[in-house]
Amino acid sequence: MKNLDLIKLPFSKENPILVQVLGVCSCLAVTAQLKPAVVMALSVTVVVVLANVIISLLRNTIPPRIRIIVQLVVVSTLVVLVDQVLKAYVYDVSKQLSVFVGLIITNCIVMGRLEAFAMVQKPWASFLDGLGNGLGYSVILIALGFVRELFGSGTLWGYPVMEKLGLYGIGYENNGLMIMPPMALILVGLIIWWHRSRNKDLCEK
Amino acid sequence: MKKTFSNRYIFIYSAVLVVVAALILTVVSVSLKPLQTKNQEAEMKQMILKTIGVEATRENADKLFDQYISVGAYPSVRPDEATEEGVHGSTPLQFYRYDGGIVIPLKGTGLWGPIWGYLALDESSTVVGAVFDHKGETPGLGGEIATDKFAARFIGKRMDSQAIHLAKNADHSNPYEVDAISGGTMTSNGVTAMLQKAYENYKGLTGSSRATRASSSTREEAQQ
Repeated sequence: MKNLDLIKLPFSKENPILVQVLGVCSCLAVTAQLKPAVVMALSVTVVVVLANVIISLLRNTIPPRIRIIVQLVVVSTLVVLVDQVLKAYVYDVSKQLSVFVGLIITNCIVMGRLEAFAMVQKPWASFLDGLGNGLGYSVILIALGFVRELFGSGTLWGYPVMEKLGLYGIGYENNGLMIMPPMALILVGLIIWWHRSRNKDLCEK
Repeated sequence: MKKTFSNRYIFIYSAVLVVVAALILTVVSVSLKPLQTKNQEAEMKQMILKTIGVEATRENADKLFDQYISVGAYPSVRPDEATEEGVHGSTPLQFYRYDGGIVIPLKGTGLWGPIWGYLALDESSTVVGAVFDHKGETPGLGGEIATDKFAARFIGKRMDSQAIHLAKNADHSNPYEVDAISGGTMTSNGVTAMLQKAYENYKGLTGSSRATRASSSTREEAQQ
């Protein structure tokens, strides 16, 4: 596989959420608003890149029988480390991340990429793969956060868009369902539908 | 290509890995602790100052806090709870005086973990400012309690003859009712419970007739 593909594919035919259906849990939980969605997307991208590189460097020394445990130790150490440093130096960012820390460790995308890619590939390729998948995840998260916040709360990044447009004056109402996690699932379903209809080869026969 | 590893190797490998990870985390945690504690204290002071309308930065929070606030202790209503450590290490029955009334700390439990806050009351136990925060509520849902928008709903509400509670489609003219958070029912219930507990603990301070007792004696004379 060419290096460029490693970054490009996760956006299209290898998207972690749309095709591999990984990381859906966090995708439903944190996309009620745009800001947490962006913070989560960034955190996962950073962690998946770093974890991919570290596991790739260690890959020849890791006994296959305990590889999952080794991966977990690396990921959780990394996440806690990052959290501690943020708490000491950029306290406000760490407050934003609070709940995400646990979600990053359990994010299937991280483990999925380590297991499927970093265990058998060189560090540079793993770095690109991590970056591609992190960004592929980010795109979906941010899209969901955008739609859900705009139609669910009438705001974007906290800015009252709908109010400024004067829509409430003419009888517009926010859609309460948008804020609920089930709506995220429905939206992901719609995106997958659209995605499959454009990539027919992904459809099961 | 497939290498085999002996049990001995696996044991040593995992032991070394875990020790290395633990060492890194310990060193980082211990060396960063003072900075983190300082940040947390500054944040607590910022929150208290915010309830009385003073915007402080992390840097000048200490100075402004000393300038505007004095710490008071209220005799325990329920002694069994007095030793319970608060989120920031304060006991539940501690409160803060400012020029115009008192700030009472709130602490409770949300859906995923601790939630806390501060309510600034004037002499007639009307809320003049509120601020809430949480450890791990879901962002966008329960996490909304930490927003200014949510805190602003409390201004003008009262904590005298009963506690403020959160309700769905709250009646805005009711001085004891505040709009709950959509999608954050469990956290909203936690906030209501926290307010109720604070109300019971601080009854002697917040009851409308006795509110003046909390403020300075000169103020008390001035009122009479």
